Amino acid sequence: VQPPEKPLQAEEWDKLKEDFQSPEIFEEVMLNSMIRCNSPIDVAKSLLTHLAKRNGDVAYNMLVKYLTLCVQQGQVSEICDVYDIMKARFKILESGAYSLLIRGLSNSNQWRMALTVLEEVKKIMIPSRTCYESCIKAASRHQEMKLAFELYSEMLAKDVVPTLHILQSFFDFSRGVKGAELQKELFGVLLYLRENQIYPHRTFMQSIKLWFESLPGGNWRGRLTKIRDSGQCPVCNHQLEDSNLTEEEYSHLSERIIKDVIHGTDTFRKTTPEELEAFQTFVENRLPFDIVIDGLNVSHIKSRKMQCENLFDAVNCLAKENARLLVLGRKHMLTNSSNWKREMMKEMQSKADFFFAENISEDDPFLLYATLRSGKHCRFVSRDFLRDHKACLSDSLTRHLFRKWQRGHQIVKMFSLCFSLQPAFRYDCVVQTTGDTWHIPYKDVFEEKYSYQIPRKWLCVHQK
Amino acid sequence: MQSANMLLRRIVRSSVLPFPTQHGIKKDLFPLSRTLSLSLCLKQDKSCEPSEKLDLDEWKKVMKSGLQEEVSEIVSEPKELSSLAAARETLEMWRLAGRAVPENMSEEQLKTFMECPSKSAKKKYLKYLHLKELYKKNDKRKMDEKRERRLEAQDQDSKTDETKKSPFVCLWSRTMDKAYNWRAAQSMIFGQPLVFDMSYEKEMSVREVTNTVRQIVMSESSNRRSVDPFHIHFCNFKDDSLYHREFIKNYREAWDKLLITVTDQCYTEIFPKDKLIYLTADSPKVMKAFDHDKIYIVGSMVDKSIKRGVSLARAKRLGLETAALPLDKYLLWSTGAKNLTLDQMMHILLTLKDTADWKKALEFVPKRKYCDFVNKPVKELKRTLDLISTLKLGKGREKGEKQFARNYPKR
Repeated sequence: VQPPEKPLQAEEWDKLKEDFQSPEIFEEVMLNSMIRCNSPIDVAKSLLTHLAKRNGDVAYNMLVKYLTLCVQQGQVSEICDVYDIMKARFKILESGAYSLLIRGLSNSNQWRMALTVLEEVKKIMIPSRTCYESCIKAASRHQEMKLAFELYSEMLAKDVVPTLHILQSFFDFSRGVKGAELQKELFGVLLYLRENQIYPHRTFMQSIKLWFESLPGGNWRGRLTKIRDSGQCPVCNHQLEDSNLTEEEYSHLSERIIKDVIHGTDTFRKTTPEELEAFQTFVENRLPFDIVIDGLNVSHIKSRKMQCENLFDAVNCLAKENARLLVLGRKHMLTNSSNWKREMMKEMQSKADFFFAENISEDDPFLLYATLRSGKHCRFVSRDFLRDHKACLSDSLTRHLFRKWQRGHQIVKMFSLCFSLQPAFRYDCVVQTTGDTWHIPYKDVFEEKYSYQIPRKWLCVHQK
Repeated sequence: MQSANMLLRRIVRSSVLPFPTQHGIKKDLFPLSRTLSLSLCLKQDKSCEPSEKLDLDEWKKVMKSGLQEEVSEIVSEPKELSSLAAARETLEMWRLAGRAVPENMSEEQLKTFMECPSKSAKKKYLKYLHLKELYKKNDKRKMDEKRERRLEAQDQDSKTDETKKSPFVCLWSRTMDKAYNWRAAQSMIFGQPLVFDMSYEKEMSVREVTNTVRQIVMSESSNRRSVDPFHIHFCNFKDDSLYHREFIKNYREAWDKLLITVTDQCYTEIFPKDKLIYLTADSPKVMKAFDHDKIYIVGSMVDKSIKRGVSLARAKRLGLETAALPLDKYLLWSTGAKNLTLDQMMHILLTLKDTADWKKALEFVPKRKYCDFVNKPVKELKRTLDLISTLKLGKGREKGEKQFARNYPKR
């Protein structure tokens, strides 16, 4: 329905309602379309007045809809009035109304009232991240940075994940403000990005850059750049952190892989205990390998070639460099068939170690185990993104470790003739600092990329 | 319409007067009291001329005026609510805001609600209760209508007063039950065993166990009604487990009279191992024909979160033969998981047992899951599929990559 342009009299509303196909929900539909068309609030008021006169009451959902309209148009005094009415009428409100109120009030000069509403919400539930966002933005807009950071740490303590807008607003509103305390807090935000492997988007990155450059007396200079494959920053020649895991991280990861990925809830789901033991002794006797190959995955690289040939090419190519190879496969590869020729398999087995798992076992967990067990230098060849194995890991910290390790150790060269021995990344792609330099990877767009893809663009900030 | 309204108002006006005396009592029941504002509505009524200028904030006055007394009452109430009461209050607000929330909730449900680990879990649980309530209401309404109709029909019957003669006493359902039970008893002596493996309780949520038991109850009833029933075994069945409690909820006193074998032993202890076949969708082996000498095992598990390979792992651990239904061989699969519900499995197995006709048996696979039956021989079909894929991929690298991108979309 098209909402009217001017406030109507009661009779006119009655008439409209009569003409409407389902009169029971007329008011609801009308208010919804007013919100959609952003009608003047006077029209909505006249409808509410009509309702109030007829029923002696305005239902809660009507009030919320009216509130939505007021918030949409920034009608602060109306918002306050509706809040007063609601507060008097109902003991508590629900989350939708609360977040509308907070959003509406925080954008006005009544922003401190938004904070009192937030306090009220906290009594009943954990406020949503957008509620916090409104309040934090309002506080930082009015240069109450201390308050903003208090709210920020409060939401972190409650396990509410901050939006990127919150983080960005900190940088936007601290531009040019001096203060050691404030600076520390903002570095803390950058470290939060590092710990959670979050990459800022372009506008966020600009805010960070401008903040650094505005620091009085800091002489910071920010430049956009791309990092060389060697991991060196072309602007300041600083070498980025390498992608290797520490000893501790390494052992933690291999432990979790065995526990969560291979065993899981039931060892029989992916393999059998006998097979696992056989594999473990097999690997221990032949350690260390340089490259572990996912045989079945590699054999499907070119669909027009025989599967056996694909694998043969890969093994030949990698064996040239005197690397110790391990190929993981399944038993069916040993039976002579149209895709698997026995002679070729024989020849390959002279160049590399082979382990054949049962046909119904999964070979990927073995791949991960053998690679991790061989040590830091060992890499693996597979086009698989290994998402399902990552998902088996129990906590997000280990998942991050896995991603980091995978970036540094997986060789994925899809359609090239030969495998190059370069892993994807030698350096670690996270926010990093040495004190007088900061290197911050960023995304071009706001949208999240694939979890295995990492940004190639960097912001280099250094002190002159 | 207009005149009718006026009439109504006049009636209300005349009846308003006796109200104020009751007012105090009523308000305790209905915190959103309306009586007071009605009087306001009267004031408005007098001055309501079409040409008069609208007072847009009128509704605020109405809303506020209805409150004056209530506020003073609220103050006297204890301010701090218990967490349960607070949750109830929140739910009430959600309901007013038009969310999917049940009208009535028991204490127990409220506790379950509060124990939900996340916001979305809470939402889901509420929606579930809401729908359940709606179904219940609908059923009740239908029942009432039916009863009314029956009463009417009886009235008419008594008027006509004519009794029909029939050679049989009308005892259909009881005689049928007797016949079914006779058959089931026979199957317990001579019938082919069919095992339900009841060892998955740990893998399932409470909801899933409830669903499982409902499906088993349905399969049991269709088995009982069949021409040649299976001898059903519940193996690994622990007394006082969640399964047990759910079964008693479903069957009540009939649970002890069921013509099935319930045991806490494993099937490997009862039957020779080489005769057992574990049916699981994850099995690499495909069932070719129904074997009347084998004992088939069905895992009693509803798996909503797609835990792959749980039942296959169990069979592997015990070293049993496994098999999957030849769904791909006979059906052009379109959507949905290949695991079927337990009652569908039962229907399929019963049909196979009676007719050995795969096409007839697989009619029980839900229609939404497949497009059609495979008419051509499989080899031919596979050849055309291969041809299509080579044509697609053969055109070069870009095509292949596009295909890849389509198969692994961004989100």
